Amino acid sequence: MTPTDLPERKAYLLHQKAEHQRNVLGVFPAVYPREILWSLNILPVEIWDPPVPIGRSAAHVPPNICDVARRGLELILQGHCGDLDGFLFPHTCDSIQNVASIVNDYLGTGKPSFFFHLPRESESRAARAFYRLQLESLSSALRKHFHRSLDTGMLVESLQWGQRIDAAIRTLYELRGQDRLDVSNSRFYSVLRAGEYLHPSDHLPCLAQLIETTGSAKPPKTPVVLSGVLPSPPAFLSLLDELDLRVAADDLLNCSRRLQVPDGPAGNPYEALTDRYFRLPVCPTRNSTLAQRVNRLLSLVGSTRAAGVIFYVVPFCDPELFDLPPLVAELKKQGVRTLVVEAGLNRQLSGQVAVRVEAFAEMIGSGAA
Amino acid sequence: MQPNLLKSLRYRFMKNLGAPLLTVLEQRRATGKRNRGPHPHFGPPLRCNARLRQLLTRHYFLSRYAKGAHPVAWVTSGAPVELLRVLDFYTIYPENHGALCGAKRMGTELCTAAEAHGYSQELCAYARIDLGHHFTGKTPAGKLPRPDLLFASNNICQTVVYWYRALAHYWNIPLVLFDTPFNYEALSDMQIEYMSAQLQEMIPVLERVSGRRFDVVRLQQIIGSAKECSALWGQVLDTMKARPAPMTIFDAFVHLAPIVSLRGLEGCRTHYRTLLDELRERVNRGIGALTVERKRLMWDNIAVWFKVRELAGMFAERGLNFVTATYTNAWAETGTMIDPQRPFESLARAYSQVILNNNLKHRLDLMKRLIREFEVDGLVMHSARSCKPYSIGQYDLKRILADQLQIPSVIIEADIADSRSFSEKQVIAQLELFFEAFEDRTE
Ligand code: SF4
Ligand code: SF4
Repeated sequence: MTPTDLPERKAYLLHQKAEHQRNVLGVFPAVYPREILWSLNILPVEIWDPPVPIGRSAAHVPPNICDVARRGLELILQGHCGDLDGFLFPHTCDSIQNVASIVNDYLGTGKPSFFFHLPRESESRAARAFYRLQLESLSSALRKHFHRSLDTGMLVESLQWGQRIDAAIRTLYELRGQDRLDVSNSRFYSVLRAGEYLHPSDHLPCLAQLIETTGSAKPPKTPVVLSGVLPSPPAFLSLLDELDLRVAADDLLNCSRRLQVPDGPAGNPYEALTDRYFRLPVCPTRNSTLAQRVNRLLSLVGSTRAAGVIFYVVPFCDPELFDLPPLVAELKKQGVRTLVVEAGLNRQLSGQVAVRVEAFAEMIGSGAA
Repeated sequence: MQPNLLKSLRYRFMKNLGAPLLTVLEQRRATGKRNRGPHPHFGPPLRCNARLRQLLTRHYFLSRYAKGAHPVAWVTSGAPVELLRVLDFYTIYPENHGALCGAKRMGTELCTAAEAHGYSQELCAYARIDLGHHFTGKTPAGKLPRPDLLFASNNICQTVVYWYRALAHYWNIPLVLFDTPFNYEALSDMQIEYMSAQLQEMIPVLERVSGRRFDVVRLQQIIGSAKECSALWGQVLDTMKARPAPMTIFDAFVHLAPIVSLRGLEGCRTHYRTLLDELRERVNRGIGALTVERKRLMWDNIAVWFKVRELAGMFAERGLNFVTATYTNAWAETGTMIDPQRPFESLARAYSQVILNNNLKHRLDLMKRLIREFEVDGLVMHSARSCKPYSIGQYDLKRILADQLQIPSVIIEADIADSRSFSEKQVIAQLELFFEAFEDRTE
C-alpha cells in the first residue's frame, strides 16, 4: 500500500474484519490509547468529518453544536455504522461528552460504548496515576467484551508500531517545516490522516514512502502555520495549494497536537503510554495554558519561517474559540500576521472563506495570490 | 499572601459598621417599597426576599474591601469551595455575578464588550459577561475584587476551564483545577482515588497563595456546615411538594444564591433556616405562591435571568406553578454524600455526582423522580444557547418523558443572560402551543 493508492475506508475495514478477524471500533475525537486497541486486534476507525448530509441529528441536538460532533452522531443515526463493533468516546469536550451520552443512553444502537477520560492537569501525580489505571481498565473492558486475552507480546509490539509511526510523523513534519518535502498540502494531510483508519502495519509504509518524496517545490511556496481542529474539507487544502501556500507546520487537534509527539523513554508499556500522553503538544482540550500555546505557535512560526498563522476553526468549537482572542493578540504583538476563518465541514468551501484566504495570501506575499 | 494590616482593619471596620449600616438602609428602602396591593395571580411575597437582598448586598459590599485583608478567589459554582474556606479566602462566583448581570439587564452589554475583543457570540454568556467585566470594569455590584487565585471544577462543563484559563492569562494568576471525570457510567473507585488525590495535591498551592496553613480539622467542621446548608436547601425545595406550593421555582432561582456562593458560611445557614421556617408556616396556613395553583410544572436548565419576572407572570396568570427544577436541585442532591470523617473522599464523591457531571440516563431518572415526588403535570425545558452540557440531550429527554409518562412538555429556545438570543415572539408562540396542549389534556 502506498500514498498513491490509499484504500477506501469502508472496503478497508471490511477487509480487516474478514482477513485479520479484527474487530473495528468507531472512535470519536481526539486522543485515545490506540496501542491498547491494536494490541487486542481491534482496529480503531476515527470519526472526525464523515461526508454525510446533515438531517436526522436535528431531532437530537440543538443547532449550536459543532460539525464534528454533529456529523459523528449523524453517521450513527443514518445507519452507516453497521460494520462497527462499538464506539470509543474520549472525553474531549462538552459536545462529544453529551453526544456520547445520547448514543450510549438513548439511541439503543445495540453496540457497546467505551469511554476514556483525558486528565486536564499535566503536572499532577494523581493525573498520571489515573491515566495509567484507565489504560488498564480500558484494556480489561475491551478484553471482556471481545473475549480477548491479555497478550503482553502484542502490547509491546503495538507500542513499537506506535513509536515507529510517531518517529515517521516527526520526520515528516521536520521535512515539511524545512521545505524538503515536495508534496502538496492535500497529499501530505491525506497520508497523515489515513492513520485515522489504517492499521499501523499498513500506515507505516505509506508514511515511509512519503518521507522518500524529498525535494522542494519550485518556485518555493509561502510557508504558513495552520491552527485549529482539522484540515477539512479537502477543498480547503486544495485552495491553499492553489494559492501557493505551504502548511509548514500545524497546530491542529487531529494532526500535530496528537501525532507529533517528542521522543520519550521506553519502559513498561503502560508507563510508556502514560508518558506519551503527558508529552503531547499543548492543546486547549487538555488545559494547556495560553502562554504555552502562544510559545508553541511562535516556535512553529520561528522554526519554519512561516509568513503567518491561519486559525481554521470549526464553528461552535468552544475550546478553540475561547483561546482565539488572546492568541491573536499575543501573536500580533510579536509581529505575526494572522487570519481567523470559521468554516464547517461541508465539502464545498464557501466563497467567503475562499476570498478571505486569498486576501491573506496576498497580504503575506504568496506568489499565486 | 500575608494580610495587609491597614486593609484588614478597613475590612473589619466595614464588616462591623459599614455593612450593618448598609443593611439598615436596605431595610428602610424595602419597607418603603412594600406597600403594594395584593397581586391578582401571586400570593404574598416571601418575607425572606428582603433578607436575601441584604445578605447578597452585604457580600458584594464587603468584597470591595476584601483584597489585602483576605486572599481572594474566583470560583466556579461546582468547585469544592470548602478547601478555600479553611484558608480564609473571600470567594466571588462569576456565574452568580453573570446571573445578577442578566437579571439586571446588563448581560448583553457586557457580552458585547467581550465580543469587541474577539470573543465569539457563541460562547457561554456567563463567560462573556465575565470577560466583558474584565475589559470594562462594569458590574451592577459596584466593583469586584481582583482575585489572587482562580479555582475551577469541570464538574459543570469544560467551558469554565477555557474561560478561567483566559482570566489566568490576562491577570497572570494561578488557576487550580479540580478535574472530575464525567460519569458515563457509575462512579468508579479509580475516579474517586484520582479526585481525592487531586484535592490533597492542591493544598500546597492554596497554602502558598493564601499564606496560611491548611488545617484538616477545620476542613471537617466546614464541610459539616456545608452539608447542613445543602440539607437545608433540600428541605426548602421539598416544601414545594405541598399543595399549594409555598413558593415558585422562580423564587427558588433567586434564593439559590447563598447555596452557590456562601455555602458553608453562617450567613447561608441562617438564611435557609429562616426561609424554611417561613415556608413551613406558609404551608401550614395554606398560603401558596400563586393565588390559584391549578397545575404544577417542572423547569429544566438554568433560568432565563433577564425574563424571570415576565415568564413567572405568564405562567402564574394561568394558574401554572413551577414546583421543581433540575437546576435548583443540583445543590441539594449530593449533599448527603459529604462525610466530615472522610473529607477528601466524600468531597470527591459529592462534587463529581452533580447533575451536569452525570450521564443523560441519570438525568432522565432524576427528572422522573422529581415528576413523581412533586406531582408534576407538565415540563418546560429551556434550551439555553449558552450551555451546551445542559442543552445537548434535551430533545431526547423530552421525547422519552413524553413516551413513558405522557407528560406535556415544551422546549423554549432562549439564553441565560444574553437577551439577543431570546425571540419574544417565538417563545410566546412555543408557550401558547404548550398551554393549549396542556389545557386540552387536563380540562
Ligand atoms: S470541533 Fe471542538 S467542540 Fe467539536 S468535537 Fe472537536 S473539540 Fe469538541
Ligand atoms: S452556563 Fe453552562 S456552559 Fe456556562 S458556565 Fe454554566 S454550566 Fe458552563
